[in-house]
Amino acid sequence: MEAQTLTPEQTQAPFQLKRRLEERTERFARTGSYVDELTLWEEDPIRFELLYTKLSQVVANAHEVARLVSASPMTRELGELIFGLYTPEGDAVCLSHGLIVHVHTISRMIKWMIANDYEEKMGFKPGDLYFNNDPHIGGAHALDQMIVTPIYAGDELIGWSAGLTHVPEVGATAPGGFDSYFTTRFHEGLYLPCVKIGENDELRPDMEILVERSTRTPVYWLTDNRAKVTGALMIRDAVLELVEEFGLEYFKRAGEEFIEDSLRAAKRKIASVLAPGTYREVAWRGSPIPGEERLLHAPVELTVREDGSIHLSFDGLSSNFWQPFQGSLSCLEGLVMNGLIQHVLYDSKHNEGTLLAATMEVPVGTCCNPDSILYPTTLWGPAYGAGLAVGQALSRAYYAAGYREEVHATSALSSGYTAGGTDQYGRSFGAHNMEFGAAGMPATAVHDGLDTSGVEFNPEGDMGDAEIWEQMLPSIYLAREMRMDGGGAGKFRGGNGIQSVYMLNNTSDIEVGSFGSVPIYPSPGLMGGLPAATLYMWTGKNTNLRELIEEGKPLPAGEGPDPAHPEFVERVEGDWQVHHGSNKATEPMRPYDMFTAVSGDGGGYGDSLDRDPQLVARDVREGRTSARAAREEYCVALTEDGEVDTEGTERLRAERRRERLERALPAEEYKRRARERLTEGRVSAPVRRMYNDLLENNERFAQRMREFWGLPEDFLVPGGDDREGGR
Amino acid sequence: MSEHPRELIRDLLDGTISDEDLQAIQRAPKDPGRRETVIELEQERVDWDDPIVVCLQEALYVVRKAPGEYVTKCRCGHEFGDAARNWKDSAAVIEREGETEYFVGPRAADPDWMVLREFYCPGCATRLDVEVVPPGYPFIHNFEPVLPDD
Repeated sequence: MEAQTLTPEQTQAPFQLKRRLEERTERFARTGSYVDELTLWEEDPIRFELLYTKLSQVVANAHEVARLVSASPMTRELGELIFGLYTPEGDAVCLSHGLIVHVHTISRMIKWMIANDYEEKMGFKPGDLYFNNDPHIGGAHALDQMIVTPIYAGDELIGWSAGLTHVPEVGATAPGGFDSYFTTRFHEGLYLPCVKIGENDELRPDMEILVERSTRTPVYWLTDNRAKVTGALMIRDAVLELVEEFGLEYFKRAGEEFIEDSLRAAKRKIASVLAPGTYREVAWRGSPIPGEERLLHAPVELTVREDGSIHLSFDGLSSNFWQPFQGSLSCLEGLVMNGLIQHVLYDSKHNEGTLLAATMEVPVGTCCNPDSILYPTTLWGPAYGAGLAVGQALSRAYYAAGYREEVHATSALSSGYTAGGTDQYGRSFGAHNMEFGAAGMPATAVHDGLDTSGVEFNPEGDMGDAEIWEQMLPSIYLAREMRMDGGGAGKFRGGNGIQSVYMLNNTSDIEVGSFGSVPIYPSPGLMGGLPAATLYMWTGKNTNLRELIEEGKPLPAGEGPDPAHPEFVERVEGDWQVHHGSNKATEPMRPYDMFTAVSGDGGGYGDSLDRDPQLVARDVREGRTSARAAREEYCVALTEDGEVDTEGTERLRAERRRERLERALPAEEYKRRARERLTEGRVSAPVRRMYNDLLENNERFAQRMREFWGLPEDFLVPGGDDREGGR
Repeated sequence: MSEHPRELIRDLLDGTISDEDLQAIQRAPKDPGRRETVIELEQERVDWDDPIVVCLQEALYVVRKAPGEYVTKCRCGHEFGDAARNWKDSAAVIEREGETEYFVGPRAADPDWMVLREFYCPGCATRLDVEVVPPGYPFIHNFEPVLPDD
């Protein structure tokens, strides 16, 4: 890979990119199309598709080679990376497989540099390497790191090649970069917002020193930089060969037409497979900050129009404030694009045209579009659930159009643990375990969700080898099990995630934390299905594990069948504590202390009483559903041999139906009582703060509350003195 | 009409379709007549004659009672009223806090943060929807279909 040389013409070229970006943006707003005609496609569709196929191979090749260059388990084991080719204005043309949530976030980085006059102030040159991990510019948190390099054909900048990986350590106040108690950007570690970290295809040594002296485990960041540069330069060199083969003008025009082609294909598909209408879902997360606990609201209203366009309104988002569960606009856009590609547009070219098919309304000053770059964004906030809720809304649109094979409940909202200190080799370390890449998948309308299989933000995710995680972190697996009953129950059940039990070992100092959610149901079910189970982390300090090992006593092999009385708590003496929701502040622990982590599970589909009893019996046999859940939730009677007792099952189910109607209230009566509770302020402080923030700051939500409950104009939920709202 | 055999679509609706057939359907281009095929099959399953206009969700349909008059109707025949309104306003409701038959110990959400709100058909007690919301949250109107003008 030879470095390209700067010509005198390039140094004297007028600054064009900003004008071109503005013209492109204005043109799309005016016409609704990227280019008027697909002239190259019309002239010779085979040649047109041939170029796209070759580009697809180029970016896929970069992805695979970069994966092997990296030394990070995130990149090598889990496939947390993506590569792409962009137009000079920063629009995605062609993307590799992998972390497709970042298709658009890299685009935002390039456009940000152009809009901020980098062309004039920095002077783009061949071989420049620009780095960004600021999610307010592009990306989803400081851990998502991207490198772009310009592609020059002679004197002309004809595009950008880019790569992104997720690194496990960024020098934050808590190790591993994820922490559920960050309250400002300054807790989140080292940010390099669109910084030139290399020239002439070489990484700058002073920038490497910066990373070495600012992070606990610099090797992952630094080898991932090499991986990204390798892939980006591979793309650049291959693109220049394709320019030779196809001709410069053809290549430039084709890039634009690929985007228009995707946009048209997206509209055609949406119009043909989704029923027109308005769809609504609500996602939640929350602030765990002591004294500032607040539920965070993320409503999603999806409108599918008959012309194949989609509008997504997130009006009603909770306000931003100094708490960890914020997401940047770039993050939300990435998640929406991810949802559209995975659920609807999986069979077309993935590029900027995909997102152009959708318009989005995300109010500024909210926890998915903060009005200050000082707010923390590491944990995505309710943008995570909102992105998943888009998938569920699309499922309703598929259902009404008859395409049941595409219908699914909400995917897993994942959690994991972080740790840092001194590892078993005596080295400084900081990292998070990302085995939650293999969470339980949601139930569909035609079958159960897959157990321990993936996450929506990375369809190729993997749990990684236990031995690799044990090498990376001084924690030993005592158990790595499927989380029985983790997925939501239903006619089809949500997939169960992973639950692991760890023992700390061979470390002189270590601190451990966890990120997840406040104690809510993280992933709703669909059409009568139950949500996935609440997340949690157990910690056991000052255990007698060492004695048990030395005495050869049985060690815990998992949680066991009763989550209220876990086997590890029953078997190991210690100071046990459950962190409900799986948010846990980072704190020191010691060797032989224990903790657990759960990946997240999928939502269920349909009424549990409609589930085939034979499936329930099978799941009990295979340890996927507990005998208790079979009896209590599915109302399936099993014989001592585990076979279905048909008559007993019919009796149990008939009885349950009677109980339901005896216990249920008519909606009007339910509403009367619920209104009384609300107006008397008999709700918790986190809920009251959520309502009062929105009642004061969001007129649409306030009007909806007033109309639904018949409330006065100035209604605020009484109780407490926290009428401050959010801003 | 659907390009897939009608029996295959019936198996799809029943959830008895084989993995191989399901994957074949998922990989194939979408058949443009699917909506009509599904409505025909659903119409054969119910004991009532009101024509189905929209398959709203599992067990619920929008049916035409008269020209321009649409109601939401359960598979059991129970009617929830005008299809323009949220059917939940006519459902039977159970709100659950903390542990349930399924969620025990810390598997259940903290009722200080969230409750389960279950909506049942008053006719057949089918669990039609489960909302995960804080107390006092308005019913979510999940789907407003575009209905014919007739």
